[in-house]
This record gives sequence, C-alpha cells and structure tokens, in this order.
Amino acid sequence: MRTKFRSSLALKLAVFVLCGSVAVFSVVLLYSYIYSRQIILDEGKGKALNLALAMSRKIEQQFIAVHKLPKSLAGFLESSTFDQKTLSRVIERMVSDNTEIYGMAVAFQPFGFEKNLKAFAPYFYKTGKTPKYCDLSNSKYNYFHQDWFHIPVELKAPVPSEPYYDEGGGNILMVTYSFPFFYHSDDGKRLGVRGVVTADVSLEWLSKLMKEVNEDRKGFCFVITDTGVFVTYPNFNYVMRESVFSVAEENNNPELRKVGLQILHSNTGFLDVGTSFCAQDSFLAYSKILSTGWTFGAIFPKDVFFAEVERLHRANLLISLVGVSMLALLAVLVARSIARPLKQMAGAAKKISMGDLDIKLDATHRSDEVGILAQSFTQMAEGLKERDFIRDAFGRYVTQEVVNRLLQSHDGLKLGGEIRDISMMMSDIRGFTALTSNMKPEDIITLLNRYLGKMVDILLDFRGIIDEIIGDGILSFFGAPEPLEDHPERAVACALRMQEAMAEINSTNIQDGLPSLEMGIAVNTGNVVVGNIGSNKRIKYGAVGPDVNFTGRMESFSVGGQVLVSQSTFERLSHILEVKDVLQVEMKGFEEKVNLYDVVGIRGKYNVAIRDREEVFRALIRPITVTYCQLSQKTVSSRGTLGTLREVSQREARITCPERIAQWENIRIILHDEKGEIPKAVIYAKVISAEEACDFYHVTVHFTSVSPQALHILQEAV
Amino acid sequence: MKRIVLVLIICLGFSCSNLVADDAPLAHATFVPQWIPQAQFAGYMMALEKGFYKDLGLEMEILRGGPSNPPIEALKSGSATFCTAWLSTAVQQRCSGLKLVNLAQIIQRSALMLIARKSRGINALIDLNGRRIGLWQGDFKIQPDSLFKLQHLNVIEVPMYSTVNLFLKRAVDVISAMWYNEYDTLLNSGFSQDELTTFFFSDYGLNFPEDGIYCLEETLKEKPEVCKSFVQASLQGWMYAFNHQDETINVVMRCAEAAHTGTNRAHQMWMLARMKDLILPVGNKTILGALDEEQYKLVTTTLLSLGLIDNPPLFEDFYRSQK
Repeated sequence: MRTKFRSSLALKLAVFVLCGSVAVFSVVLLYSYIYSRQIILDEGKGKALNLALAMSRKIEQQFIAVHKLPKSLAGFLESSTFDQKTLSRVIERMVSDNTEIYGMAVAFQPFGFEKNLKAFAPYFYKTGKTPKYCDLSNSKYNYFHQDWFHIPVELKAPVPSEPYYDEGGGNILMVTYSFPFFYHSDDGKRLGVRGVVTADVSLEWLSKLMKEVNEDRKGFCFVITDTGVFVTYPNFNYVMRESVFSVAEENNNPELRKVGLQILHSNTGFLDVGTSFCAQDSFLAYSKILSTGWTFGAIFPKDVFFAEVERLHRANLLISLVGVSMLALLAVLVARSIARPLKQMAGAAKKISMGDLDIKLDATHRSDEVGILAQSFTQMAEGLKERDFIRDAFGRYVTQEVVNRLLQSHDGLKLGGEIRDISMMMSDIRGFTALTSNMKPEDIITLLNRYLGKMVDILLDFRGIIDEIIGDGILSFFGAPEPLEDHPERAVACALRMQEAMAEINSTNIQDGLPSLEMGIAVNTGNVVVGNIGSNKRIKYGAVGPDVNFTGRMESFSVGGQVLVSQSTFERLSHILEVKDVLQVEMKGFEEKVNLYDVVGIRGKYNVAIRDREEVFRALIRPITVTYCQLSQKTVSSRGTLGTLREVSQREARITCPERIAQWENIRIILHDEKGEIPKAVIYAKVISAEEACDFYHVTVHFTSVSPQALHILQEAV
Repeated sequence: MKRIVLVLIICLGFSCSNLVADDAPLAHATFVPQWIPQAQFAGYMMALEKGFYKDLGLEMEILRGGPSNPPIEALKSGSATFCTAWLSTAVQQRCSGLKLVNLAQIIQRSALMLIARKSRGINALIDLNGRRIGLWQGDFKIQPDSLFKLQHLNVIEVPMYSTVNLFLKRAVDVISAMWYNEYDTLLNSGFSQDELTTFFFSDYGLNFPEDGIYCLEETLKEKPEVCKSFVQASLQGWMYAFNHQDETINVVMRCAEAAHTGTNRAHQMWMLARMKDLILPVGNKTILGALDEEQYKLVTTTLLSLGLIDNPPLFEDFYRSQK
C-alpha cells in the first residue's frame, strides 16, 4: 500500500485532495454549526421568553378578573348594612354572573355577622345551572382554621391561597382569593377584621390552557407556586403533591433544586436546565405571575429547539459528504488524466530508447500542459523519425547543418519525387581498377578511404549531396533537397577544389609508397527527378534522369586533373569561368558534337583556380618500346600492339603507333626493356589526340595512372 | 446449632399463628391515628399490610385520622378501640376523668420544634422576644408555653392551624413545626437549612415523648389479648417499616393518595427516616415501645406547673406495658 501510495500520483493527489477538503469542510461545518446554533439559541431564547411572558400575562389576566369581584364585594360589605337574605342574593348573583368564578363566600369572624351567631359563612358554588348554597360554618369544616380565612385575617391584607383540595366546598383543586373586610369607626377609620370575602377559581381552566399550549409544541409547560409546588404539570401526580424541591430530593437531583431556587428568586429567565427537569436535555423559560407569585415555566427540549439547526446541519453534512466524495472522485479522475498520459509517455520514452519511434499518445488532442507535453513528445518522436529518415536517405554523407536545415525548412522535408533544377557532379579516379589490380586489399582500402575522405569533406563544405559512391566514383549534386540558388557555381567551385586537393593526397600516397591518383570530374546542370528512391527498408535520396546519365558519360571524357563542364552549366557561369579548352565530343544520343568545357578556374565568391596543366614534353634519350592495348569498358583487351614512346611530359606522353587509335580511347601501356615487357611497369592513359603521319600515327595520351616502376623507368629515361 | 433453633422457633411461630388464625374467629378492632395518613403511622400501615394483626388474631380496621376525627373523641364514642395520642394529651385526658391507659410509648423523643427565618435576625432563643410566632393550639402549645415561661420570653402568639402558609406568606417570623413534617415542607418550599434557625424542645429540657398507643382501661380489662396482640403486631409493623423503607413508602403513598393529602414520596421518605430517629433514638436506653418513668414525670411536672392538671396519675396506673 505504502509503495503504491508512493508510486501513484493519482492516489497521492486523491488522498491529499480528500484530506484537504475534509479538513476545510469540517472547519466550515463546525463554524456554521456553532454559529447557527448561537443564532437559533438567541432567537429561540427571545421566543421562549416571549411565550413565558405571554402565558404568565394571560394567566394573570384571568386572576385579575377574578380579583376584582371579591374586592368590590368587600367594598360593598364595608359600606353597607345587609341582612342574610340580601347577602345571599348578592353572592349568588356574583357567582352566576361570572363564569370564571367557581364559588364565593363571605366568611365572618366569630360573632362578626350577628352578636349571637359564632360562625356565619354563606357560600355559593356552581353545580349545574344555578349556584348552590351552603353554609361553611358546619361543625366538620372549621373555616376559622382554613388558610383562606386565617391568613388574610392575620395579614389584614388580601391573599391568594395556595391551591388546595377543598373538602368542604367543591372537592376540586382550587385557588381562593381572599379579601378581608373591616369594621370601621364612625369617622371611617379602619378597625378590626370583620370577615373575609373569597372567590374560588377552579384551576381546571389553567390545566386546560396548559394542555392547549402543550399540544401546540414539543416540550411542556407547567405552573408552580411561590414555594415551588406544581400547580399544573404533565405528570398529574405532581400536581399539588410535589414541589420542585421534593422532586429534586426524591431523585437526588441537586441541580433541579438550584433551578427551583433560581425560578423562585427572579421574575423571568431563560435557563439551561440540562436533564434536571426531564430526561431530555432542555432549556427552561419562565415568568412570574405577579398577582399570585406563581411562576409559569416552559420546557424546550434542546433537540426540538435546535431541530432546524440539526436538520440544516445534517443537510450540510450530507452535501459536504457528497461534495467531498465528488471532489475525491474528481481528484482521482484529474490525477488519472495526468498520470495516465505520463505513464503512457514513460512507456513511449522506453520504446524510443529501444529505437521504436512509432508511438501513439492519447493526450495530444488536449490543450493543457499535459497535452502540450504529449504534443512535444510526439513531435520529438516525429523529429527523431525524420532525422532517422534523413540519415537513412542521405547516409553519412550529409552534414548536421544540412540535416538541421532540412528539418527546419518545410520545403526541405518534401522528399517525395519532384523535378528540380540541380547541378550534378561525377568524379572518378582514372584507371583505378587497373591501377589497383595488383595491390594488397588493405592498401586499396587505405588509398580509397584517404581519397574519398577528402573528397566527401570538400563536397559537404559546398553543401553537395552525395548520391552515390561506387568504388572510386562519386555522384553528387547541388540544389536538392536543399534549394541552393548558386548550385552551378558551387558545383564547379567544388570540382575545382577537389582537383586541387588531389596534389595533397598524391604526395601522401607517394610517401606511403602508394600510386598517385588522377581524377576526372564532370559537372552538369539540368532538370532531373529527385526523391526518395528505394523500399521501406532501404531508402536513399537520389536523382534520376537523362541529365544524370549524361553527366556520367561526360565524365568518361575527362582526363586526370580535368574538370569538364557541360554546355548548360557553362551557359549559367560563362562570365566567371576560366576555360582552358573546349572539347567537342561525340556522344550517344546526340546527333551533333557536344561541347565540353575544360574549366581551370572560377571567379566570383568562390574564386578557385587549379594550377595550369600545360604539358612540357621532353624527348627521351633512348625511346622506349611499349605494348599498348585498348581498354574496353575498363577491361583490358587481350590484343597488344607494339609502339614507341618518344616524348614524355608530367602527365602525358607521345607514342608512335603503327595503327590508328581513336580519340578518348583508354589504353594500357606496358614498358619494355631489352628483355621485353616489364610486367610491373604499367601506365594507364587516355588518348587525347591522334595524328596520322606517313605509315604511322602520332598519338598523345594522358596518364590516368602510372605504376611506380613505370615512373621510375620514365624518370631514368629523361 | 443456633440456626436450627432459630428455624424451629420461626416454624413454631408460624404454626402457632396459623393455629390461632384457623381455630379462633378473628377479633375485630379499630384504630385511629391522631392525624392524616402519612409515614408517622407507617408501622400500623405495615402491620395491617403484612398481615401482622391477622397473624395475631386481629381483624384490624384503621380509620382515617385528621382534624375532622379527633382520636380521643373516637375512643370516647367507641368508634375506635385504639388510638395514638401524645403523652401530654393522654395525661390531661386521664386527669380530666377519661380512663385511658398507655399500652405502648412509640415516639420516645419530642419532634416538636420552632422554626424561624434567619433573615429576620433570629439566631438564638432570646431573639424570639417580641416576635409573631405561629403556634398550634392545644397540646402543641404546652411545650412552647413552658419554654417561654422558663426562658422569660414575651412573644406575640398567632394561632396556627394545619399548614405552614402563615410562615410562607410572612404573617409570622416563627412557627411551630414537627421535625418529621413541617420542617421538611419548608425545605421543599425552597428554604435551605441554613436559612432557618431551629429550636428543638427536646434540647431545652422539654423532651416530651409524643405518640403512644392508648385504649380505654375498660378495653384492656375486657380484651387483654386483643390489646397485647395490637401492640405486638404494631411494633412488629414498625420494625418491618424501618427495615423495608421503599416498600413501606409505597404503602404510605397509597394511603395518602386515597386521602388526597397531597403529599409526595420524598416527604414521606424524610418522615419515615425521622420516625426511626424518634422511635429508636440513638444512645437512648429505652427499649422499643416502653414508656420511661422519668420522662413521664417530666411531662406531668410540666403540666402541673402550667396548671393544666392537678393530680397526675400514678405511673403504674397509666402505663400498662404489653410486653
């Protein structure tokens, strides 16, 4: 796994993106959760407090409404005289007219109503349609001892009682408002308490109200008295039995006791009560009902309170999860889209290193960096392929410069067949075959390589393209595939330079005991077809056409050291060429004689001239007998004729022959001594003129090659 | 060996009770406690619940006590065979001619106390001078009156009835209370112990034994077995209650709910725990159910000094141990 992780870009990228995005999402989620929770808490706190206030006000209203009646009755009792009947009527009326009143009593202090009546407390309460009457002063129910009577008398002030089950009255849970009324002195001064007016309010309406409130919402509401006793609570068993504190004690829950104290000691509040009130983690909003000192409380379970936040948060979480997953997927895809081409390219690079340039990359159509890389990669392979191709096509005989130029120029790459105006050059060692027929193979190779090495260097210098090297012969051309405007000029200059170099080669040859060589060169200019010739396996950039053949034939007319230029080449360069002679020769396929120009120099930017080849003949002291025979197609004919060599120059000789020899004929000459032919004294030559005189012919021959023995004999003879 | 004997005794005990139950018809008797159903009477409730009365041949009926059913009246009228009452009450009743006898003294220590608001500056007895004090009437007033007299305190007496609301509504600064009842009610109304100053009469030389089992002398003469069985079963009930508090509270709560007393479990738990403190006081040599003669003398002397009685009954005449 670890290695896989290390070696996989896709995996790495995916993991990093995943980790990164999870981290970012977590922070964002956490922040939003905390922040939104705070907002909801603030908002919810306001709402909860409003609910508590509104409810406590509502309850208060109800109580205040009830409050007014006993108060006004107390006022009436203080200011008027009344009998039992009137009193009963007033009480009955008040009970029947006020729906919120369950029952009312006017309870007198001992002997407060009449001097001979110890207890008197008419009471009307609702059952059925008309209020029912009872006198609370029966023996069992000692009203003097009841809180609703006793406490206001002691306090001399109105008191709402604790809620209670009144056994003497309705036997239901009630709260009683008690208003004491007083004796007054004649001057209106308040004296002792005469009795107490009470109004009983059934707390059923409160339970109903709480039920309604509870129905609309999760959580629950309750009312507790100023001593913490539950007046309403969802669990009915708590009502009037338990106080916050007793519940706290029973459940060993000191937190609840704390909450209870806080409720009793402040008017409104919002508390985090945890799980002290109920099993659910909750908030409590409470507000005091001022007229009774009771408190309305509303429990808000936190999960309900924060339900929206939780929902939002769950949605956020889900979106984040999906987002992260998609990001991870995307990361994998992106990473793979990068890694896969890279892998492919790595494979391709391996292939290339093994010489296989046929690569195909999928990413080349892409416009991003990977695409660019792939394109470059493909281009590189293409370039290598072209280079290989060029190498294949041009062999070793093309300079880097030319290759680069070919690669750079779009035209140069059009290596298909086309007709181009180029200059061709054909060079050849005169009589090489004959010259080397008796040489050791390694000497032949040394000789040839020295010669070809030098010639190729010069050709490349002049941007010549070597079409073919066959043995000692070189076919080259200028002006294709690389277009060269001055290709005739280059070709001629190159040829002259090559001739010039022969002196250097020959002096080395002589030092090494090798024969000196003579080279003939022909230069021609014309339109030929150039292109890649061959098969897929062996291909060569070359030229074909009549002009190519013509160049070859031209060359055969040249003698050693000569540069023959065709008419077409001459016409383009006539102003700068130094022509020594114009040869008129007969050529196959031409009706008239063809002009060949023996060029010895070129002016202009190349400015090359070869040393004058003017021959100075010297007569031999003793003429030498020779055997000569004609060479046909470079092979020696068996028939030899005897002649006499009388004069000799540096490269030429005059021979007197009994038979006519045609001009441009190649011949082999073997020197004689007294004993006859000297087998190693051989001269190859070309007939450059033959003149008839009496019965014999004066023939001038140009040496193409002279064997060392022959050279020695000739030097001796002069 | 001991274990075998114990097992034998238990077996014998069972067979005896069975014999009694099977052979003799159950003797019917009624009992009225001096107040509403609460843990103050847990022993009797458990004796009935667990069939201890039945085991001893009694068909007991426990009547509902409370302000509407004064126990002495019930005894007088014959509606109750047995009742519980304070020692001071019983002594006064005997002196005033009602021939009742103490069969067992259940509560050995006085639970009566005064509770004051610390916030009103009451920290010591002397601070009670000039205060409005809510006091229960009747026999509940004997100890306070005696204390105020002994300590030369001038207080403003406000009659107090069943609830502590007089105190809660701030009509008084001090009220009388029972340790096992009203004190806890105040604690459960949001007072903490350190907000209240307490005065236990038992700490001021006025340790009056409280609840005892009484019947008419006539009843004891006629049905000594019934009296003996009632006392023994009741004491057995108390022991059972102290040893099975949770079960006991369930029974107490059931009885309390039937009477709409509006109490709660926590309060009854407190009360039962205090009952154990009062019935089996730590470090007191008195045995369960016995009336100590010295304490009896303390009560009669105090009653005499307050002029509530003239001629206290002889201890032997008054206390008729059923052990």
